[in-house]
Amino acid sequence: MDFESLSADLRALQQRALDEAAAAPDPESLELLQIRYLSKKGEITTVLRGIGALPAEDRPRVGAIANAVSEAVKAALAAREAELHAEVQTFRLAGERVDVTLPGRPRSRGTLHPIPETMAAIAEVFGRFGFVVYEGPEVEDDLTNFQMLNMPPDHPARDLWDTLYVDIPGRLLRTHTSPGQMRVMQSTKPPIRALLPGRCFRYEAVDASHGFEFFQVEGLMVDEGTSLADLKGLLDEFAHALFGPRKTRFRPGYYPFTEPSVAFDVECVVCDGVGCPACSRSGWMTILGAGMVHPVVLQYGGIDPERYQGFAFGMGVERIANLRHAVPDLRYYLENDLRFLEQFR
Amino acid sequence: MRVPLAWLREYVDVQLTPEQLAERLTLLGMEVKGIEQWGADWRSVVVGELLTVEKHPYADRLHLTTVNIGSGEPLHIVCGAHNIAPGQRVPVALPGAVLPGDRHIERTEKMGIASEGMLCSGDELRITADAEGILILPAEMPLGRQLSDLYGDAVLDVDVKPNRGDALCLIGLAREVAAATGAALRWPEIAVEEAGGPIAERLRVEVREPELCTRFVGRWVSGARIGPSPDWVQMRLQTAGMRPINNVVDASNYVMLELGKPTHTFDGAAVNDGKIIVRRAFQGERLETLDHVDRELTEDTLIIADPRGPIGIAGVMGGADSEIGDRTTEIAIESAIFDPVSIRRTGHRYALRSEASLRFEKGQEFRLARIGADRVAQLTLAWAGGSVARGRVDTAPAEPNSSQLAFRPRRVSKLLGTDVTAAEQRALLRRVGIETEEAGTAPRIQVAVDPRPLAVPAGEDLVIVATVPTWRRDLAIEADLAEEIARVRGYESTPAHLPATLMPAYRPSPLKVRDMIRETLAGAGLTEVVTHALVSSLDEARLLWPEDTSEPAIPGDLAAQSGDEIVVTNPLSAQHSVLRRHLAASLLDVLSLNERQGRGDVAVFEIGKGYARVGDGPREWTRLAFLMTGAAEPASWNRVARPYDLDDARGIAELLCQRLGLPTPSYVPDARGFPFHPGRALVARAEAGSEALSGRMAEMHPDVLARWDLRAQRVIIAELASPVLDSAVPARVRVEPIPRFPEVERDLAVIVAEGHTAAEVEATIRRHGGALLRGLRLFDLYRGAPLAATEKSLAYRLVLGARDRTLTEAEVDAAVAGVRSGLESEIGAHLRT
Ligand SMILES: [Zn+2]
Repeated sequence: MDFESLSADLRALQQRALDEAAAAPDPESLELLQIRYLSKKGEITTVLRGIGALPAEDRPRVGAIANAVSEAVKAALAAREAELHAEVQTFRLAGERVDVTLPGRPRSRGTLHPIPETMAAIAEVFGRFGFVVYEGPEVEDDLTNFQMLNMPPDHPARDLWDTLYVDIPGRLLRTHTSPGQMRVMQSTKPPIRALLPGRCFRYEAVDASHGFEFFQVEGLMVDEGTSLADLKGLLDEFAHALFGPRKTRFRPGYYPFTEPSVAFDVECVVCDGVGCPACSRSGWMTILGAGMVHPVVLQYGGIDPERYQGFAFGMGVERIANLRHAVPDLRYYLENDLRFLEQFR
Repeated sequence: MRVPLAWLREYVDVQLTPEQLAERLTLLGMEVKGIEQWGADWRSVVVGELLTVEKHPYADRLHLTTVNIGSGEPLHIVCGAHNIAPGQRVPVALPGAVLPGDRHIERTEKMGIASEGMLCSGDELRITADAEGILILPAEMPLGRQLSDLYGDAVLDVDVKPNRGDALCLIGLAREVAAATGAALRWPEIAVEEAGGPIAERLRVEVREPELCTRFVGRWVSGARIGPSPDWVQMRLQTAGMRPINNVVDASNYVMLELGKPTHTFDGAAVNDGKIIVRRAFQGERLETLDHVDRELTEDTLIIADPRGPIGIAGVMGGADSEIGDRTTEIAIESAIFDPVSIRRTGHRYALRSEASLRFEKGQEFRLARIGADRVAQLTLAWAGGSVARGRVDTAPAEPNSSQLAFRPRRVSKLLGTDVTAAEQRALLRRVGIETEEAGTAPRIQVAVDPRPLAVPAGEDLVIVATVPTWRRDLAIEADLAEEIARVRGYESTPAHLPATLMPAYRPSPLKVRDMIRETLAGAGLTEVVTHALVSSLDEARLLWPEDTSEPAIPGDLAAQSGDEIVVTNPLSAQHSVLRRHLAASLLDVLSLNERQGRGDVAVFEIGKGYARVGDGPREWTRLAFLMTGAAEPASWNRVARPYDLDDARGIAELLCQRLGLPTPSYVPDARGFPFHPGRALVARAEAGSEALSGRMAEMHPDVLARWDLRAQRVIIAELASPVLDSAVPARVRVEPIPRFPEVERDLAVIVAEGHTAAEVEATIRRHGGALLRGLRLFDLYRGAPLAATEKSLAYRLVLGARDRTLTEAEVDAAVAGVRSGLESEIGAHLRT
């Protein structure tokens, strides 16, 4: 046995091992090849038993060749193992295909009612301008609902608010959110910027545009220099926030508790100002009433009308929601037909 | 108020189109709600001339006519009226014409003779009240012209606000038009030819209630002949929305529309002794009013009487006995000023509110009493003939002068937020008839009248004194003049800018917490509803949702959320006659409505108020309620449907507690039965410091479902209360440090008798687990073999740990052993491991 023949044996062995590794059909065969070539009783070790017959100077050279063969076989086995793994995985994944065009598993979410949603939208806009939310009672007294708002008993303007009365003397169901103005003024001092959302009641037969229960949002701002121009600027911002960039119109209105009084219109959302049945062909839709707080009201609120001035506004939430969502009938809101509510996804 | 433009033009020139005028008036504060084309419903009605009028050969009551309509062959028309003669001009409805009331006219045959159209009465065209005769047109009407071209008009519907009673008439609106356009106002010429004897021989007036009747002006006309008013008068009244009656009553109504002065005309023969007494009614007195209702009068009703008794309710409605009738010849004219409050109360008392009382309620200009009496006398004379007695009866002939009102132009500018010079302010006021001058000595400024008069010294400011016209009873304080200046100037010219003044202090919004809860519940699959606060008393009684004060009690101040029902004293219907105390019945109504639309899966919630009477006062509180029935998750190709049950309700309560920073709620069974399933009802409660949430949840008793006529078999309802719903501030999260040492999990299957609740088992584990027990979760509930029929197994996962060390095996074992022995000794449990 000489160096040449021994090294030739090792090379032949390497070639055979590499061929067999490449042809191994499964991980188990690779396991057997591992044992056959690389274990302590494997073929490489067996070949190296002949090393003792070699001259001393050749032994390290043969050792180096044997190491190289061993590494090459290990690498071949690893490569084949990776290859086999990839094949198996590809096959498994191929079998797991699904129809990705099927509809998903439904996640059910309920919907939110347009009245509180609209109130939230209104509160959001005015909140930006420092208006803070207060809430007043719905079972009010005549004093706060009418008298302190400059409507003494038998005032003809009371006809504008047909009233529901309850079996508690002197009490009624508030006909508007305006009495909240009084409660705010009596409980805090200027500067005041207050928003009062809530439910109101009127003695009114129900049809597509009237209801005996409805919702309003009232606003009140009082300070030393608060003016009609401030009101106009603020309402313009509000209208633009809720209805987009439309023209607005400020015109005289009438409320006993404001002087001057204002009606605030936006360009018709149906016809964009051209004129249509929805806006009585005027091109305008009234969205709220407002005005400078009447000195009588300030006095009842404990505020000196010579020093302070302010404005108030009030809007129907249903009216705003109607215009935003094209709701055709006021009765939809309190009827709660899910076919209506579920449209507010 | 309906304003026919043709009539309005008598008092002011109008160069604008109806649409332009409507916009100008609207911007001036006289809102035009609509424009009606009067005569738009006469289509193909033309002016014709009667050529021949002959008897119908087969019918005595009919005539055969030939009519020239200016072109083509004369038309042959059969007509039933008797007031026609050759040469007259008449309205002819051609075949194909449409008349008011959508009446279509076609070629017809009447008693064997063809009729090529129809001759129209005033009533058929709604021009006059005459339904008997054909409307005879003035001879100068051009042949063949469409009637709508000749008599058509635009009628504005003006919404006159309650403070502007002075504008509830044509003169008043003409003033506004003059202010808007700068045109001059033309008053009608009012002059009475007095050919009769002195009025004192005819009429005496005694006012016994000078507070309630501040002025009474009387006139008398003798020898009048009652009949229809001239056609043009009837036409004006019709276009203004008032039905013509006869020439005298029409004169009174005409003056009300023209000047805004309601007057009344009595048959003079029915005024006994020629004496009118204005007094309160006596107890038990009766009067048959013009509407032929016999009314018992109350002592607080102001009446017009003669020495024998009542002949009218002052300012509201006259009596039937003194009504102007066909045989009336003597006419007493009443033109008075009554106390607005008294008239308003009387109108309400008898549910009788007339065009007249509406005007009295808003207050009347004092001098109008005189002017109105004169105008009615003048028109009566013109339309009914006779002679007017000399002079008037007048109980308060002294007419007050215009009042003075001082204002500061600088202050007006400050209110409007824009500088308007004093000169411009004065010019603007002049356009609405308010003359001004610079104040001589510094007068005080009237800032407010109520609740206490507030007049301040002007200080350094320039002060202008305005002379308020007598008809403007609405102008009393400085701010009123500011409004006049602003509206005449045009609100559009007010600049818009954002407030630059101080901000108020921060205040948390109650809407925010509710919005968070709403989002959470929607995320959990519930749809929000908003229902009526006014409900039927029957519904409340049908449900009998327990009072919160009953057992088992709901803790804390939430217990106060109960009391007696608040009842509406003037409800619109029994369906909505009481304020609800609970939301549960409303949710059942929502379910019922949706079931009728074929919806079986319903999960809804509402945040709303409950109301009750506590002692003498009302109380309101905010509640949260939800209802669930049908499938919790509707079936899908990749999911099976699962019905809602009480576990879902508790799960939602637990979710809410998490969102609100409250601990997991505890549950106590409620076995009361109706309205609940006796074995499926509970009181839930969670508390942390001052925060709390509590309420009832239950599957509803089948009898409740039957009462609501529901198809659903199982309906879960929960109604919860929490102060946080009103307080706006949810509990804050307080963070615990993340454990530094590993925690150990141990599972324990606890077998107990059915009678022991999960709450008991859990409480026992917690009590014995001590400080090392850091978490506890029920993960399985099992009944069946090998357990006895009376047993159940509850499987818990315990999490054990300590803040400062890793637990040893021995410590964990000891803790579990403690729990085990506690369960065994206290509730007789045995354990499987
Ligand atoms: Zn429109």
